[in-house]
Amino acid sequence: MNRLQRALYTAASLVVLVAVWYVGGVASSAVPGVPETAAALVTVLTTPGPYDHMFYYHVWKTSEMLLISLVVSMVFGTLIGVALGRSETLESTLSSWIYGWLAVPSLVLVFLAAVWFGFDVKSGYFAVPVVITPFVALNMWEGARSLDRDLTEMADFFGAGRYQTFTDVVIPQLAPFLFASVRSALSIGWKITLLVEAFLLARGVGFMFKRSFDNYDLTAMLSWLIIFVVFLIIIEYGVLAPLHERVMAWRPDADGVRLTE
Amino acid sequence: MSQTDAHAGAGRGDGGTGTLELRDIVKYYEKPGQGRVLVLDEIDLDVEDGAFVSLLGPSGCGKTTLMNVISGLVERTAGTMRRNGEDVTPDDLSLGYIFQEPRLLNWKTVAENIEFALEARDVPEAEWDERVERYLGMVGLGDEGDNYPTRLSGGMKQRVAIARALATEPEILLMDEPFSSLDEITARDLRQEMLDIWKDEEKTIVFVTHDINEAAFLSDYIYMMNTDGRMFARRDVDIERPRSYDDPAVAEREAELYREFHEHVVE
Repeated sequence: MNRLQRALYTAASLVVLVAVWYVGGVASSAVPGVPETAAALVTVLTTPGPYDHMFYYHVWKTSEMLLISLVVSMVFGTLIGVALGRSETLESTLSSWIYGWLAVPSLVLVFLAAVWFGFDVKSGYFAVPVVITPFVALNMWEGARSLDRDLTEMADFFGAGRYQTFTDVVIPQLAPFLFASVRSALSIGWKITLLVEAFLLARGVGFMFKRSFDNYDLTAMLSWLIIFVVFLIIIEYGVLAPLHERVMAWRPDADGVRLTE
Repeated sequence: MSQTDAHAGAGRGDGGTGTLELRDIVKYYEKPGQGRVLVLDEIDLDVEDGAFVSLLGPSGCGKTTLMNVISGLVERTAGTMRRNGEDVTPDDLSLGYIFQEPRLLNWKTVAENIEFALEARDVPEAEWDERVERYLGMVGLGDEGDNYPTRLSGGMKQRVAIARALATEPEILLMDEPFSSLDEITARDLRQEMLDIWKDEEKTIVFVTHDINEAAFLSDYIYMMNTDGRMFARRDVDIERPRSYDDPAVAEREAELYREFHEHVVE
C-alpha cells in the first residue's frame, strides 16, 4: 500500500467516524451533536486568555508539567534501570521493589501528593515523575541487560576510554530502549497529569475536563478532547516518529540491502 | 567487564621485536557450583617474529583463553610472558585482534568503524583518512567506506574487522577462528588474502582454530591442545609457500596431525 492509499483510508475512517457521530448526535440526546461540538471548539479556540488564547494556555500548562516530569523520570529511570541491568546484586535486591512500585495505583499517589503538598503544582511535580519513573526503569533495565558484551570487549581491546565507549558503543545500543521509554512514559504521563489537574489544580486540560463535567457541559468536554487528541497526534507524527527514524537510520531497509560476495 | 577494564589499552605499546615466550601459563576460572576450573595447564608457547602460528584444538580446550592471555583480555593465574629475556605485559605489545564475529558497530559506517579503533588507539586524526583508505583497499572494500555494516555480507563484515585491526598497524595479529562462521568459498578467499597480507605487511599472526585443514594450510607451526587445557605438541608445517588447497602435501600433513590428535584427545 503506498502513501496516498494509506492517507485515503485514514481519511475515509475519519469521515465514517464523524458520520456515525452525527447520526448518534441527532438520534440521542446523550451524545453532543457535531454542529454544537464544532461551535464549542471554535469558542474554546478563539476565547482569549493568558498567552494569547485560553486553549493554548491550558495545553501549554499540561505539556509543561508532563515534559519536566518526563525529563526527571528519564534521568532517574535510566540510572536505576542501567544500575539494575549491570549489577546482579542490585538486580536481586531491588527487582521485586520495581514491580511493587509499578503496582501502586496512580490514583493513590495523587491522593498522597495532595496530602503531602496540598492543592499545588508541587503535587503534580511529585506524582507524575513517581508514577512514570518505574516504567522507564523497567525499559532501561531490559536495555542494559541486552548490551552486547562482545562489543564492550572489542572496545576494551582497542583501548577505548570510558567516554568513547559510552558515546559510541553503549548509547547507540540503548537508543531503542530510551526511545521506548519516552513513548511509554509519555503515554502514561498524560493520563496521570490530567488526573492531577482534575483533582488538585485550577489550570491545564485536566482541569478544563473537570470544569466541563461540573457544568454538565458534555459539548465543551468533547471539544477539549478533540484539541487534546489532535495535539497528541501532532506530537507522535511531528516529533516522535521523525526522531525515531533519525535514531534508527543505520538499520537496514529492504531496498538498501546489498548482499554481494 | 570489570575484569577486563584494567587492561583497557592493551597492545598500544612498542615492546620491540623478538620471540614472544610464554612459559608455564596457568589459568583457573571460578565457576559457580564447580569451584575452580583449570583451563590452561602449564602451557609454553613461542610466538616467533614474523611467524604464522596456529593454536589448534577441539572446542572448549582453552585456546581462545590462551590467546587472550596475550591480548590482556584474560588475566593469567600464573606464568610468565617474556621477550628478549625481559618480562612484557600485553600493554607493551603492539597487537591487533580479529574476533570470531566481526564485532562491528552497526550504527557507524564502515569507515567510522575503523576510525573508532584509530581514536581508541590515539592515532592522530590527520592520519585517519589515509589509513582508512589504505586498509579498506587492502581488504578489497575501497568503495564501501560510507556503507553501513548491516548492508554487508558476513564475509565483507569480517573484511572490515580485518581492516580495523590492520589500521592500528599492529606488529602481532591475534585471530580467533575468524573464518569459522563463513561459508567455505568465502573463507577460502579470505584465507588466501590473509596470507598475502601477512607476507606483504610482514605481520606476526597468532591464529586460533579447530579446523586441522585450515591450520595445515596457513601455519608455519602449530600448537596442539587437548580438552584438559594441556598443550601436547608443537608441530611444524614445512610446506613451501605459496601453498595451494589441492596440494597433496597439505592433505598429507592434515592426515598426520589428525592421527596425532586422535591419539591424544580421544581415548
